Amino acid sequence: MRRVRKWGPALLLILPSLIALGVFVYGFLGWNIRVSFTSWQGFQPKYDNVGTKNYQDLMNNERFQLDVKHILIFTLVFVGGSLVLGFFMALLLDKGVRGEGFFRAVFLFPMAISFIATAIIWRWLLDNGEGSQTAGLNKLFSMIGLGFLRSDWHKGDSIWAISAIALPAGWALSGYIMSLFLAGLRGVPEELREAARVDGAREHKVYWHVVRPMMLPVLMSAVVILAHISLKTFDLFFAIDPKSPKIDTPALYMWFTTFDGYFYARGATIATLLLFGVALVIVPYIWYSVRSERRK
Amino acid sequence: MTVTSEVARPAAPATDGRNGRIRPRSSPWITTGKYVALFALVLFFLMPVYALVVTALKSPAEVSVTKMWDLPHTFSTASFQVVWPAIRTGLVNSVILAIPASVISAMLGAANGFVLSKWRFPGADFVFPLILFGMFIPYQSILIPLTRTMTSLGMVGGLDGLILTHVIYGLPITTLIFRSYFAGISDELIEASQVDGAGMLRTFFFVALPIAPPAFAVSIIWQFTSAWNDFLFGILLTSTNYNPVTVALNNIAGAQNVPFERAMASALLACLPTLLVYILLGRFFMRGLMAGALKG
Amino acid sequence: MTITTKPSAGIRVEKVTKRYRNGVVAASDIDLEIKPGEFMVLVGPSGCGKSTLLRMIAGLEEVTSGSIRIGDTDVTNHLPQERDIAMVFQSYALYPRMTVAKNMAFGLRMRGTAKADRDRRVAEVADVLGLTHLLNRRPAALSGGQRQRVAMGRAIVRETKVFLMDEPLSNLDAKLRVSMRAQLSLLHKRLGVTTVYVTHDQIEAMTLGQRVAVLRDGLLQQADTPQNLFRNPVNLFVAAFIGSPSMNFVEAIVGRGVATFGGVTVPLPEGSALASADREVVLGIRPTGFGPATGDGVPSLSVVPEIVEDLGDERYVLFEVDAPRVDTEETRAALEARSADDALLIPDERARFTVRLPGDVPVTVGEPLKLAVNPDKLYFFDPDSGDAL
Repeated sequence: MRRVRKWGPALLLILPSLIALGVFVYGFLGWNIRVSFTSWQGFQPKYDNVGTKNYQDLMNNERFQLDVKHILIFTLVFVGGSLVLGFFMALLLDKGVRGEGFFRAVFLFPMAISFIATAIIWRWLLDNGEGSQTAGLNKLFSMIGLGFLRSDWHKGDSIWAISAIALPAGWALSGYIMSLFLAGLRGVPEELREAARVDGAREHKVYWHVVRPMMLPVLMSAVVILAHISLKTFDLFFAIDPKSPKIDTPALYMWFTTFDGYFYARGATIATLLLFGVALVIVPYIWYSVRSERRK
Repeated sequence: MTVTSEVARPAAPATDGRNGRIRPRSSPWITTGKYVALFALVLFFLMPVYALVVTALKSPAEVSVTKMWDLPHTFSTASFQVVWPAIRTGLVNSVILAIPASVISAMLGAANGFVLSKWRFPGADFVFPLILFGMFIPYQSILIPLTRTMTSLGMVGGLDGLILTHVIYGLPITTLIFRSYFAGISDELIEASQVDGAGMLRTFFFVALPIAPPAFAVSIIWQFTSAWNDFLFGILLTSTNYNPVTVALNNIAGAQNVPFERAMASALLACLPTLLVYILLGRFFMRGLMAGALKG
Repeated sequence: MTITTKPSAGIRVEKVTKRYRNGVVAASDIDLEIKPGEFMVLVGPSGCGKSTLLRMIAGLEEVTSGSIRIGDTDVTNHLPQERDIAMVFQSYALYPRMTVAKNMAFGLRMRGTAKADRDRRVAEVADVLGLTHLLNRRPAALSGGQRQRVAMGRAIVRETKVFLMDEPLSNLDAKLRVSMRAQLSLLHKRLGVTTVYVTHDQIEAMTLGQRVAVLRDGLLQQADTPQNLFRNPVNLFVAAFIGSPSMNFVEAIVGRGVATFGGVTVPLPEGSALASADREVVLGIRPTGFGPATGDGVPSLSVVPEIVEDLGDERYVLFEVDAPRVDTEETRAALEARSADDALLIPDERARFTVRLPGDVPVTVGEPLKLAVNPDKLYFFDPDSGDAL
């Protein structure tokens, strides 16, 4: 009984948030899944049960299949690119440079602006005019003698066109990844590096043998965060080139089919699949970090 | 060695070698190479800003996509004047949205974070990951239930539904920020308060809150930026008069055949507030960034 | 200036056990009675359960079974707020955003004391502790010693029946620690409040405690006055733990009224319980149990000093004894060593004794020295159970 008196007030204080999240997160997730089992389309909700028909239909849906390919390609390029760039920037700054504060501020500022703004700016940068109509990055390339880099970007014909969007996405997120890696690199106690140096290791060996093994947790965090952002990304695509089939993704498809086409059931199905995709990376991540925190 | 006045930070980096330790001197080639690479990166990150600013300041006659990189011959604020009426409403709405949303979710986050880190109740370890998951879900998976609920509550159209939405979905990150922060203060402080006769609420108000201002700063700034930059909820839950600035921006600049200079001018205006916050209070913004990475 | 205090209360700990969910037993069936106004020290190596016991008395840890009474009240199920106790923490736990005055007044404020009374009592206590000029400072602006005094002041101001102190001096440097010890003693004499004090330092325990409770692995070994702990340790662990330098041990054989070890034979003291025994024992003798040989029939042994530590008016002489070293769980626990390796820099098989001699006795390394052994100062322990014989 004394125990309840001890933690009763605490539970009460946190209860409103728990209830709110219980409804708005878990309640809604469940509700959405329920809708994915209906045949609801149009204004009036309909809560019948069609089993897994929507899922099967979706798997056979050409547009959806294309979307899945797109998102996989995008994730690959975006995650890979951001990791590489972010790590590279972290390496540059690790040992301390003059003006580090300035550099970090510049690399991170894209995190402070909305993806809509990012999309709008980059839309013109990724212009695909040719010849006298060359503009944007292409124009920049030709101006500095790298004209061969000219590309159609996301308006190109290859299925890889969508990877052009990884440019603005990476531009926005690399700074964050850099911060993660920097914190990880600097979390390696200096004594360890010094011991290695005293033992005769050259700097690159120090990185390889001492620093690198300790970076795994950070790398995992970075991959998980990037992957789940990649699946969720909507604003960026929506504002760069909304109805283009070349950069259609499940997230975009869900939006248009639900709020333009009123195919609620189908939208819910896509959304549920997105949820599972994200949960696949996030649930182990949360479980792992909570557990390792408890072990400390 | 004292624990009484620590201000906790998430993931503090270890020494970075600039405190007098002797570090191996890199060859001048490497150092120069570093700075060259860093400046190239700065150019990469600022290049879109350049194009943005330069275009926004050109007179409409001079604006041309192909001449994006040229400096203005004459400076003109015509573009700003054209877009200002539409953007202004958006800016006002965003302010009305972001300030209450960030303050309220910070306060709730403080209470939650305190309870979860310092005042155990049965199931606390179980509840925390559940809350955390809410931070990562793809919003597509709750959009349909959200719109239905908000409509039936009569909270669609104005900003009230949007504020509520941001408060609730912001709970996980603010809870996380405060929980990490309070975890860093010693348990003995809370115990001393209990021995002195204070229960949970009084300990929260008299002992925990007074040392929480840094966490409030991080939470509020992070949530402000988050709410300001959101697009998805904004476009779903508000009507034209109440559109936040991201939606207004998309309305002005989102279509394909839009005057280039108007898009750039409106993007610039829309980004200014969060950029200002970032420049002036970037420290706190960065801590919010790192908090979201957990500590896997 | 006097400080008004209520009559103090005794504490009775009855069969208290603390078991954690993962099975670890931090305290096992502890029975301890602390008289009103007594200064009781809980001492033992880390992990022995002394802090846990203190925290259970405070109400900061739950009691798995057993009961705790403060005065006439059974407080076992009471929250810390509901017990009439004050506590000084190892890290002082001062509220960082409050001034010294507010820190000290906090407990009174929480209990609804009127402002005028609060201010008066804070001023009184601050005066006694020499904190008056610091009342408006924040903890960050204080030195370690000052913070410690504020922590004490915060406890005293509340005029509770019981003080609990969890290693309050261990964060101070050595000199400050010694002077604070004396002041703590004076304070206790003056206030007369029942105090339970936890430390891992047995010297602190012996100097401060009216009675000392020695704990090990959650079990109470012996609770007694410092003198009795020193003179009549109830087992090998207590004997090894109390006293600095620690007691010397060697395996010996007792038979026919004498004890034999390493080529030395010593008669048992008169009326010893072992007079007719014939068994193996662990023999213990404190560094002060030897003296220079006077040659008048007192049993003596000839030793070759290996190391002489000269401290001015006394000397510590270390010599080897021709017998294996006593290395048991108890002796290791007393040294807080987890394995045989932990205790020695260079592993060694032979026993080594430390003797304390007056500074004017001529001692040279390598030259044989004759020492007298006082049979009354011998201790005998069972080699298996560690109990005194």
